[in-house]
Amino acid sequence: MAVGKSIIRKEAWDKVTGRAKYTNDFKEPGMLHASLVTSPYAHARILSLEARRALAAPGVHAVVVGEGLPLTGEDMRDRPPIAVDKVRYYGEVVAVVVADTLAQAEQAARLVRVVYEPLPAVGSPREALKKGAPLLHEHLDRYEKNKTTHPEPGTNVAHRTKIRKGNIEQGFAESDVIVETSVSFAPSDHIAMETRCATAEIWPDGTIHISASSQSPFMIKKLLHAYFGEETGKVIVHTPLVGGAYGGKAPVQLELLAYLASKAVGGRKVSVWNSREHDMVTSPVHIGLEATVKIGATKDGLFKAMEILFLFDGGAYSDKAIDVSRAAAVDCTGPYHVENVFCDSLCVYTNRPYATPFRSFGHCEQAFAIERAIDELAQELQLDPWEVRRKNAIHPGHTTPTQVRLTKSNVGNMPACLDRLRELMHWDEWQRVEVDAYTVRAKGIGAGWKTSTIDTDASSGVILTFNSDGSVNVISGVVEIGTGTKTVLAQIVAERLKMDVDQVHVKMDIDTQTTPEHWKTVASRGTFMAGRAALAAADDAIRQLKDIAACVLRASPDDLEVGFGRVFLRDDPAIFLPIKDIAYGYKFPNGNAIGGQVIGHGHYILRRLTPLDPKTGAGKPGPEWGVCAEGVEIEFNRRDYTYRIVKAYAVIDAGKVLNPKAALGQAMGAMSMGLSFASREGFLFDKEQRVLNPQLRTYRPIRFGEHPEYIVEFVETPQIDAPYGARGIGEHGLIAMPAALANALSLAAGVPLNKLPLVPELIWRTQKGDSYGSV
Amino acid sequence: MVPFDFAYYRPQSITEATALFAALERDGKRPLYYGGGTEIITLSRLNLVRTAAVIDIKAIPECRALDVGHDSLVLGAALSLAELEEANPFPLLTKAAREVADRTARNQITLGGNICGQIFYRETALPLFVAEADAIIAGPYGIRQCRFLDLFHQQLQLGRGEFVVQFKVDRAAATLPHFHRKRRKQGEVGYPLVTIVALKKDGTVRVALSGVCPFPFRSAEVEAHVNDRSRPVGERIQAAVDAFPRPILHDIEGSADYRLFVAAQLLEDMLGELGDRETV
Repeated sequence: MAVGKSIIRKEAWDKVTGRAKYTNDFKEPGMLHASLVTSPYAHARILSLEARRALAAPGVHAVVVGEGLPLTGEDMRDRPPIAVDKVRYYGEVVAVVVADTLAQAEQAARLVRVVYEPLPAVGSPREALKKGAPLLHEHLDRYEKNKTTHPEPGTNVAHRTKIRKGNIEQGFAESDVIVETSVSFAPSDHIAMETRCATAEIWPDGTIHISASSQSPFMIKKLLHAYFGEETGKVIVHTPLVGGAYGGKAPVQLELLAYLASKAVGGRKVSVWNSREHDMVTSPVHIGLEATVKIGATKDGLFKAMEILFLFDGGAYSDKAIDVSRAAAVDCTGPYHVENVFCDSLCVYTNRPYATPFRSFGHCEQAFAIERAIDELAQELQLDPWEVRRKNAIHPGHTTPTQVRLTKSNVGNMPACLDRLRELMHWDEWQRVEVDAYTVRAKGIGAGWKTSTIDTDASSGVILTFNSDGSVNVISGVVEIGTGTKTVLAQIVAERLKMDVDQVHVKMDIDTQTTPEHWKTVASRGTFMAGRAALAAADDAIRQLKDIAACVLRASPDDLEVGFGRVFLRDDPAIFLPIKDIAYGYKFPNGNAIGGQVIGHGHYILRRLTPLDPKTGAGKPGPEWGVCAEGVEIEFNRRDYTYRIVKAYAVIDAGKVLNPKAALGQAMGAMSMGLSFASREGFLFDKEQRVLNPQLRTYRPIRFGEHPEYIVEFVETPQIDAPYGARGIGEHGLIAMPAALANALSLAAGVPLNKLPLVPELIWRTQKGDSYGSV
Repeated sequence: MVPFDFAYYRPQSITEATALFAALERDGKRPLYYGGGTEIITLSRLNLVRTAAVIDIKAIPECRALDVGHDSLVLGAALSLAELEEANPFPLLTKAAREVADRTARNQITLGGNICGQIFYRETALPLFVAEADAIIAGPYGIRQCRFLDLFHQQLQLGRGEFVVQFKVDRAAATLPHFHRKRRKQGEVGYPLVTIVALKKDGTVRVALSGVCPFPFRSAEVEAHVNDRSRPVGERIQAAVDAFPRPILHDIEGSADYRLFVAAQLLEDMLGELGDRETV
């Protein structure tokens, strides 16, 4: 009925008319505003901080500094919410000025005098790992951390994940050829349209009200408890619509500052709202990577061994970067069967903005390394790169790098995706053609997979209530970050209750006091987890409706069906009760009543997940692996090194497409992000590791009109225990895009292009054999 | 946001504007003339511009002129780049204007603002260089007309309190064969690595560049090499590139050697399109 149809998003009308409200749209008289004072150095000692002039400025209520605050961080507490003694990245917050108006706060922020003593700054991860490199965290051994985090004190390694599967020496011994490939790219940004923001207010009764543009409203509650000892029951977090997140709003940062600022002004409401520049560097960024991949294979291209080193640029603080480095390790081989795997994935401290997930959570990064290596292997063996991928494609019966046995349900159909991609791209017709003296057309492909390395006890809850007309309200903790998940939940509920989706209303905003928890709106897990909870809630409501109707209709509940706004006898639908007459209890003609309000509830908790074994990585990190095969077709000019992306393809195993247009939108949006990241994004640093382009004038993502033609298809291999078989699709469109673009350009230009972003100057320099860069 | 308060003035005439400027200057307001304001917004939020008063010149009729006369075009300094694109009185200027910023910004950015602002690419100056346009300039001592190029040394040399009212372009020059090409680091929006504008008059190529140096320029020496048809094209271009003023930009948009590589190719394209590749 509702599943499989292109239902228009429930929030679409509000959005297209500009009426939709986001966190910073909720203003109220008396609300104070904060401005962040940030560090102009990437690494420096704070010798003094003088706030007297700022405090005396008009309208200023407080200047909050870092002294005495607890350390924060999700996996390891290494980050002061406001820097003390030392700054470790360009843009780090050193003070928060609170004033009546934003203008007053900004003016006063400029009056805070901070004296720094610059320290040598650490750039890339490889630099950070060199002997004698300055240490970012001298007391790495003293930080509080969880059991799955393994820092290496005395170094800049925040965490190391080890994957040991099979016998790597034997794998290489059995190989006819071994190819080694190194890739790298600097940190970049998510550039969500809505910059990150939060407000906080502490009421006289002690309740703390936070509003945040966040993917993790429920985590904010927990962290305010963990860091500051606040009672979780007294923390209430509101999250309205979120204007793009892409992983950048999973970490908790400004919320802490808003809370501290409110505390400093007697609990008054304080708003912290990032300028674009602060959003780009002060708040967490898209992680950078340096990687080396060694593949051993037989002459005919069968992989025998992979030795992989991922050096993730976690930046100054480990927070979510540890998790990203682990996620990349878990799926380190890409969607291929490899018996012998040796992978070290490190989260490395550098004096760069601290990192956080970017749509695909470590996977587009990891895939760039693996898929470039596979193309280089194919070239070495003079084999078709598609054939090599197809030959090694993962499928049920194989095991993953963390030794999970794959089944028909827990992995998508990789061979089918590759096969369809080959047809769509007319791969066999040509892969490189010289159109004229300078113009070359070329195709490049890549494949990806992803599981979600989320907490093993992550759960989701849904509540259904009814209106007096028999329509339903869905209340779920999934944040509507632009993915349309809430509409999909409405479709799932409508399908189960066999009713019109227009009769299913969704509560868009989150209020953690009344909305059942959804762990975090991340990892393409909204539809799966909240969908399962929604189905359970619908079943619960159906059971209750049947119980009431059974009395009235004098029939066993087993003989009843719910659908079309009624509860009816299965073998005689003419005997029925409208739902509206029983959803609030049934009143007999004589006034007697039975039943009562029907409130359906349901929940879902991930099952049988385990942490990774610290020595081998063995463990079950996530519920299923979605797969994709992607490609691009480019036109490259060999004379001036410019190029145009003509077409971009994605074939994604969606399990089951619940909302076709929404699914296409997710895939194309993700592809666009991948191409933008790969072709033009990335922070540029000077030698002192200051960011040179923290502005949209100089950091320029892809614009509307610069897009290629997108060709997207879905394969449907159901995940048996997912709602209607659906797999996560919010991220897969991105995973292989950077690699596919690099593969196409490498083929066109005739040189291996292993760095991002792929700007013409990089290609020119690579062909000249120069090292790259004016900065 | 603009983190300071400022007064806004909207004079109706040139004399009112210059008088206002003088008065505000006396009061220590450090006034700015402005057309579109995009740069004031961009730079003030970075604390790179500060003023207590802005004088909007858009209500001055002369600044909004767009006259196609028998002999000359008159282009008001407060015309937006989008307006110039749409009216298209000077196709080479249209091409240069169309590649500045993005359409939304070009609805605001004015011709005068693009040329007189701080951001140094000033690409709409290039067509005016090669068309040998005149600038009409108003200031405390009245109105003067002079050759735009003569008054432009790295930037337009305006006296305190002066502003550009109009540009006057010879109509014949506006219809000559021409060439425009902009190359960026990547994509179709952004600052130039190199922008080249050229025009051919009486067999001679006039050429002006932006993006190569931290200022736009037209150089007699460069043009002499470009037009030296006694030598093969490759040598002409190399000599022209060698004669570029210094410094060559070397920054986040591109390195100096890459910019020169791009400039040389664009010069070659230019000679090709203007039919000037042959050696005599």
